[in-house]
Amino acid sequence: MAVITLQTFFIALFGIAALWFGVVVFRTSSMMRSALALLFSQTALGAMFLAMQAEFLGVLQIMMMATEMSIMAIFMVMFMMDPGGLGEMDMTHQKRLSIAAGVIGALAVSGVALFAHWGPTATVAPAAAEQIRGLGTELLGRSMIIFETAGVTILTAMIAATAVAMPVLQRKKTS
Amino acid sequence: MSPDLLTALIVGAGLFGIGLYGALSQTNLVMIMMGVELILAGALVNLVAFWRFLHPESYAGQMFVLIVMTVMAVEMAVGFGVAIARFRARGSVEMEEARELKG
Repeated sequence: MAVITLQTFFIALFGIAALWFGVVVFRTSSMMRSALALLFSQTALGAMFLAMQAEFLGVLQIMMMATEMSIMAIFMVMFMMDPGGLGEMDMTHQKRLSIAAGVIGALAVSGVALFAHWGPTATVAPAAAEQIRGLGTELLGRSMIIFETAGVTILTAMIAATAVAMPVLQRKKTS
Repeated sequence: MSPDLLTALIVGAGLFGIGLYGALSQTNLVMIMMGVELILAGALVNLVAFWRFLHPESYAGQMFVLIVMTVMAVEMAVGFGVAIARFRARGSVEMEEARELKG
């Protein structure tokens, strides 16, 4: 019989926190709170990775998402008509369809998780230092092309985003 | 099946469902991007759980996690670029008003 360990408890605890803050993202009318709820949700995920003994990925997730969500919060204040949510504006459409799609999607994926045969599970994870060494060897070994492609993709996206965001007049002048 | 793996996969499924709801129901571009972020977060949880509980000896699983994180960063960068361009052109990032490509 499966044993509920402290690890299971913490994975479930941080998982529930991630789900709860994920729900809060779309329930609050304040856009600042939405961005902060997403930040907390992603941080809870990072903590969940730490509970799963994926130390490097957990810390990376927390650091990346803290930066990403702070930028998102700034954009929220810049672009939203009512960032504080004081006007209680409804910014949703096709709500029933969306709820149905979300529930069906989650149930379908849960069904696969429950009924698929995953094979034997590992009880012991490699130590943190061994994980870093293994990942480094993987990145600079057989996955090097994929890793380099990811780097080039980010660079391309940065250039594309800057080009798209440049004012039209300025673009005409420079060309 | 290990309860740890099952818990992680259920959390991933929940995040996917919440993200899908958000991406479909929100009218604001930045909020739609938040929904997509949650969908990708669901994929992240699954990948970490698969690596940890099924194949901890193979670091290709962690590599996939890095790729999904890259996709999240790219989505944010391009999304905000489009949001800035849209805001300059129309003064709003409400997707209800974006009907230029509608046939």
